Amino acid sequence: MRSRMGLAVALVVAVALAGLAAPTTAAPRAFKIAVVSDVGGRGDLSFNDMAFKGGEDAERDFGVRMVELVSKVEADYVPNLTRAARDPDVQLIVGVGFLLSDALAQVARRFPNKNFVGIDTFAQSLVKEKFASQYPLPNLMDIVYEEHKGSALVGALGALLAAHYAKPHIGGVFGIEIPVLWKFEVGYKWGARWATEWLAKNRPDKAFTYRKDFVLWTYTGTFSDIPKGYAAAKAMYAKNAVAVYNIAGPLGLGINQAVQEIARSQKLRMGPPFWIGVDANQDWINPGFVIASMMKRVDRGVYYATRWVRDGQFRDLVRRTQGVVTLGVGTRIAGQVAEGISVSTLDDLDEFIRMGVQAERLTGKKVLPATPTEIKSKVKTMREAQPKWVWDAVAELERKIREGQVTVPLAVTRPDIQRWRGELGYGPVPLPAAAYRAPAR
Amino acid sequence: MRTSRALRPLAESLATVALGLVAGAVLIWAFGHPPGAAYRALVLGAFGTWEDLLETLAFATPLMLTALTFAVGVRGGLFNIGAEGQMYLGAVGATFVAGMVPMPAWVHLAAATLAGMAAGAVWALIPAALKAWRGAHEVISTIMCNWIALHLSMYLAINLLAEPGRAERTVPALPTARYPVLSEDSTLTAVVFVAVGFALLVYAYLWGTRAGYELRLAGENPDAARYAGVRPQRVVVLTFVIGGLAAGLAGASQVIGRPPAWSLYATLGNVTTLGFDGIGVALVGRNHPIGGILGAVLFGALAQGGRLMEYEVGVLSELVRALNGIIVFAMAVPELWSLIRRRFLRP
Repeated sequence: MRSRMGLAVALVVAVALAGLAAPTTAAPRAFKIAVVSDVGGRGDLSFNDMAFKGGEDAERDFGVRMVELVSKVEADYVPNLTRAARDPDVQLIVGVGFLLSDALAQVARRFPNKNFVGIDTFAQSLVKEKFASQYPLPNLMDIVYEEHKGSALVGALGALLAAHYAKPHIGGVFGIEIPVLWKFEVGYKWGARWATEWLAKNRPDKAFTYRKDFVLWTYTGTFSDIPKGYAAAKAMYAKNAVAVYNIAGPLGLGINQAVQEIARSQKLRMGPPFWIGVDANQDWINPGFVIASMMKRVDRGVYYATRWVRDGQFRDLVRRTQGVVTLGVGTRIAGQVAEGISVSTLDDLDEFIRMGVQAERLTGKKVLPATPTEIKSKVKTMREAQPKWVWDAVAELERKIREGQVTVPLAVTRPDIQRWRGELGYGPVPLPAAAYRAPAR
Repeated sequence: MRTSRALRPLAESLATVALGLVAGAVLIWAFGHPPGAAYRALVLGAFGTWEDLLETLAFATPLMLTALTFAVGVRGGLFNIGAEGQMYLGAVGATFVAGMVPMPAWVHLAAATLAGMAAGAVWALIPAALKAWRGAHEVISTIMCNWIALHLSMYLAINLLAEPGRAERTVPALPTARYPVLSEDSTLTAVVFVAVGFALLVYAYLWGTRAGYELRLAGENPDAARYAGVRPQRVVVLTFVIGGLAAGLAGASQVIGRPPAWSLYATLGNVTTLGFDGIGVALVGRNHPIGGILGAVLFGALAQGGRLMEYEVGVLSELVRALNGIIVFAMAVPELWSLIRRRFLRP
């Protein structure tokens, strides 16, 4: 009797416990992530498309659901972030691009239970500036990238190509002179100098001494005026630069125009001259003439952030990093490899061609210059036409950076940049006067 | 009799909204979304909660002003499509005073506001003078002035007003020159009261003063106005100046009255198209200052409510924009019709 009673009690307790537990186990809350684009929107083939791709990768691997919020005007940033944060199922809100920094700082403060990530943003430093008592916000993470290391890799690539083709220069077309771009500038020049040292050791027949005028560089003062990119690049190719690095976003199209002009007049099917892409894999824009791209893997940022939220590591990570996580070459976060910078490869190209196909479908405009297979084969042919030692040397530099055998200088302050310019090359090439004339349309 | 005459345009506008919504529903349905749920989300997203309502008004604020520019132009017999450029200059003027000229609180806010309005008005004087004394058609001159204003403003934003280290935007307005945020839950600031106040002021001026009457008379019937002794040059300049003040205030409102940036983007990205959108708003509002306020709230609601429609029902953002266009087009029909009738079909 007694035991039966006990059994009954135990049963009741068990049922009650099961009942209590049921809502959490039987109906787990949907895990949604929201990606808020900047005004570039879907189809930019760069930051925004990469972020959405990262969200799609996270959907595939972590079983989350992504909602996309495309900002049409700057005034949409705050309402879009807010809209996403008000959805009870959304656990992570990603703002893409530094333009969202102010908005992220504002909205993250109002939704302390939601996790916010900014890609390439400086939202925590804005929190520090404006709301010092709340800094660092425990639910806000800026993900930034080691552009200096990637720039060193493509700087080395450029110098090695200069050696191979016996050309006197490489070039760099920059946007507005802001501290972020100094990272690119010094990294690029440093990489070029590293390559000359490598050549002296490994390929004495091709070796040359690094000169301070080896890297031609111009700050165009704009991130949107494509003809200025064209004018600056044209002057560099006129001085026989083997490759020009695009550090000015859309001005790459101007650089491409300068290359295309030479290609047409000399009936070239492949560089030199080359140019070097930035942020996304831009190798497809003009296959055969874009030797490689310095990629900032925005998609990885979204992907990792989702994983950190899923694994419950996010806030701990914010606490330990003051809310700024750096992805780069050989970076490890929370004990796991989490990289975000690389030189483009043939495999990356597929992803970006797919992105282009998707953009064509979405916008109804022609995006890709040729069919995907043609692009791929042209890029492949171009890469194989370069001597193996060029690629090996770049790979060696990457390995050395990863293993900490060399350190790429990071210039973020004015004294830094002045010191490194003194060492690696001081005088910029002024923008030709033609750049200020109205472009012919 | 009087009330029914005043209500007729309102009824016409409401009828065309309904028409536009039906056409929009067909479009939504054609793309495979349920129109009922979509419209429910649109309304809830725009007015469903307190913060949504405030955000709707934040989007409406600049539009009621640029609509005023166009509406006053039409009332004065001008097709002034220069609000866009006047608004850019207004934003630049406000940014300069708000960000670079320190002053005591409140005085600073007033000075920055007035600087924006004055800059818009000065820019409007160019087509005004060309029209009044050289007879240059205002459509041509305002379009040209818009382009000049775009490049001039970008130049000033990048070279004069730039903040070191922040390439994307100008110096922010100093805290003394910012309109108070009405609620942390939205981007609406007290500048909305200034905008509504200015629209009401213009209404009182046009319908309550002799100069306003002359302006409307010159617009309705230039010959009769001249016969009555109204100086056409004076009307042209007055019309453009009022429009310029409104457009300048619209530009200023996005710098000193809209968080979180409190500044002008170097691309002018946070103000572009507000001037052109105002033309549609004015048509919807039947070229009346108060109608413009209502029209602006509708546009604001479409901008803010479209967000939830996209979020919950999955109506693509491009479709949301098409829907905006259809409703606006349908609503513009009566005004467009009467405009055509007045201009070309008059016996």
